[in-house]
Amino acid sequence: MVKSYEAGGTEFRLSVPRLDILKGAKLAFVGESGSGKSTLLELLAMILRPTESKAFNFQPAADGQIHDIAAAWESADADHLSDLRSRHIGYVLQSGGLLPYLTVRDNINLSRRLVHRSTEDVAEHWAERLNIAAQLDKQPAKLSIGQRQRVAIARSLAHDPSVLIADEPTASVDPLHAERIMELMIGLVDELGVTLIVASHAHRLMGRAGLQMIDHAIDAVSGNSMHVTVSDASS
Amino acid sequence: MTSCFILALSAVLLPLLVLFGLKFGIIGNLLAPLEDDPRYRQIRPVGSGSFSSDWFDQMAARDDVAFIVPRTRSISATMRLRLPDSETGRIISVELIPSAAGDPVLGDLDPPSGFSSVLLSQDAADKLAFAEGAGAEGILSRTYKSQQETVLLPLTVTGVAPAGAFERDGMFVSHELLVAVEDFLDGRAVPPLGWDGSPTQDDSRKFSGFRLYARDPGDVAGLRRGLMARGIDVRTRQADIELVQSLDRNLSIVFWIIAGIAAVGYGISFGSSVWANIERKQRDFSVLRLTGFRTRGIVSFPILQALMTGVLGWAIAAVIYFFVQAGLNTLLAESVGGGEAVCRLLPAHFMIAMLLTLSTASAAAALGGIRLAKLEPSLALREG
Repeated sequence: MVKSYEAGGTEFRLSVPRLDILKGAKLAFVGESGSGKSTLLELLAMILRPTESKAFNFQPAADGQIHDIAAAWESADADHLSDLRSRHIGYVLQSGGLLPYLTVRDNINLSRRLVHRSTEDVAEHWAERLNIAAQLDKQPAKLSIGQRQRVAIARSLAHDPSVLIADEPTASVDPLHAERIMELMIGLVDELGVTLIVASHAHRLMGRAGLQMIDHAIDAVSGNSMHVTVSDASS
Repeated sequence: MTSCFILALSAVLLPLLVLFGLKFGIIGNLLAPLEDDPRYRQIRPVGSGSFSSDWFDQMAARDDVAFIVPRTRSISATMRLRLPDSETGRIISVELIPSAAGDPVLGDLDPPSGFSSVLLSQDAADKLAFAEGAGAEGILSRTYKSQQETVLLPLTVTGVAPAGAFERDGMFVSHELLVAVEDFLDGRAVPPLGWDGSPTQDDSRKFSGFRLYARDPGDVAGLRRGLMARGIDVRTRQADIELVQSLDRNLSIVFWIIAGIAAVGYGISFGSSVWANIERKQRDFSVLRLTGFRTRGIVSFPILQALMTGVLGWAIAAVIYFFVQAGLNTLLAESVGGGEAVCRLLPAHFMIAMLLTLSTASAAAALGGIRLAKLEPSLALREG
């Protein structure tokens, strides 16, 4: 799979010759910023259209079916991808991505509402697990950044996804909190058997958290182009 | 933010409603007499012509013709008339006006029928001191084979035509009676009435004139053109009608120009705010998409918001309009008189106003929606 694009006059090319992520795996893509980590996560989250894709299959643990994502992009079946995303994927952004006009409770329930599942006691349960029970009725703006990240994690897990994708989930939090949030996230993922894919530049933190690391190798940087290959890994 | 746009919409819509209400009310008041008074729909022939029964059948079949009956020569369409029971014993000469069912000048009155049932014009009734239920007697004289002959015709006056239906001494009679009178005066026999004379004409009878009314004042010009083109010179009150029609047309043009400017202005301001709003909330929309919302659902959001703004703004404008209308009508009632509403709108006008409002608002919002749909979700995510 290849994604190339141009940003600020620089041609960027990310190629993924082969990448298999098994159910329950815990992966971290590590590399400096600008090495295409976010791009790769967005491709995996089926929100970014690959430039070329020989094969891209997704077999969510929940339904066991193999979905041909490459074909869905080919036929521009955006609704199918939206549905897969809403059911099987949880996504944590670097800066939370909470909706500012919804309370913490409604933010957590959002992902469940979308797939028409009951929201009874769901927010309470997750708030308790993530130590944000006191913040449930507040607006995200009133929370600290660390608390916001916890809410984001709660939201991305509340609908019982098969895969949790987190893009620099702790980059904007101080190191102490960062480690605690990582531990919390890994703990939940282990307990739920969710596949975890994280992008981070914090090599050490990822290592301590026990994630399998995949490096973004920058093959070539010339005047106005940059080629990155994600190292072939079978986990 | 949304409430501001609802109020802004009302502020644009309200003066337009009032303006259109005034135009509709004033033109309506000017048009009312044209619609109500049959004289504005009348087409009168000048001089005498020669019209066959076929021609009358063709004319009567036309959609723009409300009423047409043949007239005979005016010299043979008069009769002397008296009321045998009246104290004055006065005899007057009346013009015979052919009539039939659907005669616009008779309103709800029963039309004359047969050889005896007739109606009098107001003037004739006054001169004869006609009272309800009184019998009448027609007197016809001719010189036939050098002999002076007079016949008496017993008549039943079923009513008096409204004032203005005919302004001289006249009597509304059926087609049969009119033809019978002409036949008698021309020296022909009228067997049903027992009047002697030479044999009656067959179907090839020609009439010298007609009483013609268009269905609508707007149909007069077309009918007039058609008749003039066939060499039939006619008189109408077309000029009066056209004056009001052109006033209506010109006021409508002015109104639609103002409405157009207002719609474009509001559309641009609303559209640009929707646009800016989407620009500002890009990241939120991207998050929604990332969570798995479908594009369609996300795009429908600004459009729904626009429709809501439209309906509420329209409703507020409509409610305030009613107060303005009541105020204007009270204020202007004295100068207009007749208790006619100067400013008024039909329910249909409100519906049209709403549809136009909603289509303008949703067109503006749809532009924003398209912008939103084209947004690359991942780019917006990283900016934050």
